[in-house]
Amino acid sequence: MSLPLSAIIMLIFGCIVLYGGLAYFIYRAFKGKNK
Amino acid sequence: MAAIGSAVGLGNVWRFPFVCYENGGGAFLIPYFVALFTAGIPLMILEFSVGHWARGSPPEAFKKIGKKWEWAGWCTVLMPFLVAIYYIVIMSWCFSYMIFSIDLRWGDQAAHFFESFLGDTGTPIVFGGISMPVILGLIVVWFFVFLILYKGVKRIGKVVALTVPIPTILLIILTIRGLTLPGAIEGISYYLTPNFSKLLDANVWLAAYAQVFFSLSLAQGIMITYASFLKKKSDITNNAFIISLADAGTSFLAGFTVFSVVGYLSMNAGIGIESLGTQIAGPNLTFITYPTAISLLPFAAAFFGFIFFIALLTFGIDSAFSMIEPISSGINGKWKISKAKATAIMCGIGFCLSLMFVGGSGLHLVDIIDHFIANFGLVTIGLIECLILGWVYTLRKLRYHANEISEIKIGRWWEVLIKFVVPAVLFLLLLASIFQNITNPYMGYPWWLIVLAGITPLIVIFAISFTLMKIRPKEEPL
Repeated sequence: MSLPLSAIIMLIFGCIVLYGGLAYFIYRAFKGKNK
Repeated sequence: MAAIGSAVGLGNVWRFPFVCYENGGGAFLIPYFVALFTAGIPLMILEFSVGHWARGSPPEAFKKIGKKWEWAGWCTVLMPFLVAIYYIVIMSWCFSYMIFSIDLRWGDQAAHFFESFLGDTGTPIVFGGISMPVILGLIVVWFFVFLILYKGVKRIGKVVALTVPIPTILLIILTIRGLTLPGAIEGISYYLTPNFSKLLDANVWLAAYAQVFFSLSLAQGIMITYASFLKKKSDITNNAFIISLADAGTSFLAGFTVFSVVGYLSMNAGIGIESLGTQIAGPNLTFITYPTAISLLPFAAAFFGFIFFIALLTFGIDSAFSMIEPISSGINGKWKISKAKATAIMCGIGFCLSLMFVGGSGLHLVDIIDHFIANFGLVTIGLIECLILGWVYTLRKLRYHANEISEIKIGRWWEVLIKFVVPAVLFLLLLASIFQNITNPYMGYPWWLIVLAGITPLIVIFAISFTLMKIRPKEEPL
């Protein structure tokens, strides 16, 4: 069995939004600290 | 870091997976993401702004807005205290499982073991025998909460520096093991595939908003309290985004761990995942899936099991003490009772109240109280917060306050969300869910029990809040 397309979309969406977003805001926090 | 510690806790690794399972797996994720971005993050920014602006406990913050609104502050600190009463029971289960993991005592039948460990009576009406391991766990956990809190917020920072990263690493290890199990892909498919027909069910939406509130520690005065300790130049908006996304990211990850094992259990039982319901639905889900994953580790299972349950405990302890901190700060702020004394009083009361869950009916009582506190209590307090802060106090002032010290500037969209969108959504969801609960009582429990265990605690919280507002310290004029 493989994952249905809608599940793959949800997986990609979740990863990009949650982990990508987290990485972005942490990066901004570090950038702000070094200013 | 302390706020991340508070937000990331058992709400992610214990509550999120079972709420997700009960609400149809992938069907739950869409409402969850919508709730996170429309209510979770905006309210997180709101609570941070209020706490940072007021520089005091929630009752003090609401009193600063208007003397007659102090009760709302007391509501927000009493709600997490009520949550702590059963939350620490879950931690005491974790404590027992930490001991059990030394010899993997749950064996091959983790589901059966959990029931026999609690002496489950199968109903909330029959109290049953008392579980001594649960009482021992309660004593240990409440004592640790007191120890960490009585010295104040400085100690919290030191504790969470360790208790946030370690459990996350262990969760990743268990997720990898779970994903490599046979049948895992069916579980993941159930977890991620959206069921669009469920989007018409108000209960699923309410459960999603409630989960976001519970997990992000919103409408509980916790973030207001922590924000009051932040430095004057702290970046509020960025912090709010980091905490919210870290919290949701941990929940999303825990979903993979639990549902991969659910897929494995389903394959072993030879039945569909939905049909596993009676065995694994409810608060016991994680106490079946995590031990199963631990037992299946290729080496050092006992070692990893022991470390994992310590990690789960440390995950929980951050949230547990953050639930007691707001009420201790409130009492300390209003009546000038020392922090140590206020903490001791609240921990003592909390321990006594937790004892009602040590019997064979404990699992079911936790389920009922959690359902009503999270789904109705937290959502109602969130609604009240939006109405008071959005309509009574000038929300724009809070936005300017946040923008003044934050790198990311929030626009008028935030005001629209807090003033109109969030209250309207929460109000409609509450109405729809009340209607559904009246026509179809939760889990088919008798009405008198739902009123006693679910609705009475909420009424008591409002009554105590108004009473605490009326009791004035000696030096304060009327």
